[in-house]
Amino acid sequence: MSGPVMDPRIAPPFPDAALPILQNTQLRKNVAHATDVIQAKRNRLVAEKQDWQELRTSAAAIRAHVLANLGKYLEEFETNCTAAGGVVHWAKDAAEAGQIIVEILREENASEVIKIKTMTSAEIQLNPALEAAGIAAVETDLAELILQLGEDEGSHIVVPALHVNRHQVREIFARKMGLPQLPDDPEALTAAARTYLRKKFLSVSTAISGANFLIAESGSVAIVESEGNGRMCLTLPRTLIALAGIEKVLPRFSDLEVLLQVLARSATGERLNPYNSLWSGVVPDDGPQRFHVVLLDNGRSEILGRKVERQTLQCIRCAACLNTCPVYRQTGGHAYGSPYGGPIGAILTPQLEHMRHAQSLPYASSLCAACYEVCPVKINIPEVLIDLRAQVVDQEREESRRWFDPMYLGMKVANFAFGDAGRFRMAQSFGKLGLRFFTGKDGWIRRLPSLGSRWTLSRDLPGMADQTFREWWAKREAEREKGAR
Amino acid sequence: MTMGSRQRILDSVRAATHADVNRYEDVPRGYIRAGSLDLQGCIQLMTERLHEYGADVVQCAPVDLPHIVLRQLKQSGRHHFVVPSGFPTDWMLSGVEWLIDQNLTHEEIEQCGGVATASSSGVADSGTIVLHHGPMEGRRVISLLPDFHLCILRVSQIVETLPEYFSRFPQAPRLATYISGPSATADIEMTRIKGVHGPRFLSVIILRDDA
Repeated sequence: MSGPVMDPRIAPPFPDAALPILQNTQLRKNVAHATDVIQAKRNRLVAEKQDWQELRTSAAAIRAHVLANLGKYLEEFETNCTAAGGVVHWAKDAAEAGQIIVEILREENASEVIKIKTMTSAEIQLNPALEAAGIAAVETDLAELILQLGEDEGSHIVVPALHVNRHQVREIFARKMGLPQLPDDPEALTAAARTYLRKKFLSVSTAISGANFLIAESGSVAIVESEGNGRMCLTLPRTLIALAGIEKVLPRFSDLEVLLQVLARSATGERLNPYNSLWSGVVPDDGPQRFHVVLLDNGRSEILGRKVERQTLQCIRCAACLNTCPVYRQTGGHAYGSPYGGPIGAILTPQLEHMRHAQSLPYASSLCAACYEVCPVKINIPEVLIDLRAQVVDQEREESRRWFDPMYLGMKVANFAFGDAGRFRMAQSFGKLGLRFFTGKDGWIRRLPSLGSRWTLSRDLPGMADQTFREWWAKREAEREKGAR
Repeated sequence: MTMGSRQRILDSVRAATHADVNRYEDVPRGYIRAGSLDLQGCIQLMTERLHEYGADVVQCAPVDLPHIVLRQLKQSGRHHFVVPSGFPTDWMLSGVEWLIDQNLTHEEIEQCGGVATASSSGVADSGTIVLHHGPMEGRRVISLLPDFHLCILRVSQIVETLPEYFSRFPQAPRLATYISGPSATADIEMTRIKGVHGPRFLSVIILRDDA
């Protein structure tokens, strides 16, 4: 089974990628089930929280405050992490981050490295970079392990294998772990993963993690998780490398009182995640004795400078927007062609690609704003989507070949017609005349020929009224004048 | 190379934010900080939450503690227990095998069926056990590898809300682990399975303070 393309630089546009997925009823069933379950849990736990809106307000304000003062907090984090025995590296892009990590692992003579699920490592395509350097990455999150062994790609930020069901997991594990008798109940499958990974935890001496939060005032890193694979990777190896986007900083330790509460409820519908870990630098006799943090820019500082788009960086990767999105719920994550799918992926991915790739993603939304409503840090995703769409249109206008694009020509014609009252009136008369032929008795247009069929393929169009507003207004004014006389 | 990137990143971050005025003091904090329950209510809520996670909970008076510890450990069906270096010796009655963690190897700890530790705090609202990994809570590895974790939580350590915990500990500890239920996954069809990697069994003794 060859995996879907999840590199935005080469992935097909969203509608093309979505089409075959929409015909995969098994995958859609799996996605619908998983998102329903998480949403129900999330909604129940949000409802019980009397101060939910106040927590959201604070969480959004803390994140916005960090972004407005990011330089200061990054330096503060660096100073404190270094003082605690950590080594801080800075990577301007994916390639540099990969190089830094490979170099550290080479110095450690590592041929294998255990990994905690990290979206940022998927963003920078770290596993292929490690493989090219002859280092085997072992994913230790259960979902990531399923995907790695199944040569598949993640389709969700929090539960990346939600598109795979138990029978498929059984098949993958039986084949790759050499366990032909393995039953397909989740308990047995989980136990198989536990046994398989326990050996790795005890024998591999280097680990890679992401970071949920970096604490500026103490130089600490926080990781939230459920399984304990995170604690294993953070505790057992000799050397640990944490890869974190520069936006992940929080000013103070106590800011976690807000962020941990909203993250757990939004991500998995829990009051707190089963395990949260916090550490600063190196602690003698406890855990890794060499610790590196790689701070990754990769387009983030550029996003920071844009007024509307900056809020994208407030994200804490809870994936609540994916679970609630009517588009994501139909297509799952693979259609987005990026590790970041769903509404947040639709705004984050093209920006990380400097708007040079993934331009179809801002259109992968109905703008219903359900994502905004659930977002624990109040990112106005529809606002950003619309702004990015405008940027895509601007780009297209730049490209001369668009002159042959019927849509572009149509817009030009419309611009001309709408630009002058006389021309507008004329266009209305022509339009009425032309559309009459296609309008049904009930006043609706169900089918248009050629280009117009692109619209009517999926929606009906109301026919034009017999009387235009302008005609009605002119008539009304005339009658009033008559009455007044 | 890295030094160059550092400067470059910080320069572009500063260029992007130079006009921003946003003060930490102005962050709105309208959420609930202090809880409304009395001590009994807190203990009850903590117990309920721990039960929801499938943890075993007993209360006991200080004088009974060593016996209760022994009873709980025996009931776990395991025989070898690791304890942190600062675990009080008078809590360690004979009847099971005790192994004090003086820099034990991972393999030695892995051989133990269970672990007994104290804790640093408990948050009732989320049923969270907090370990700051001091001498009484031990190194992180001892409460990770064994399959059974017995945790002793003093009543005076229990707070109702998460913000109350942060008021008690405004400075970040060097290490902290927040345990809200045993290791779990829902990665396969959202079916919740206990015990992927961390201890599968959590048992809590809520220790009443001296009356």
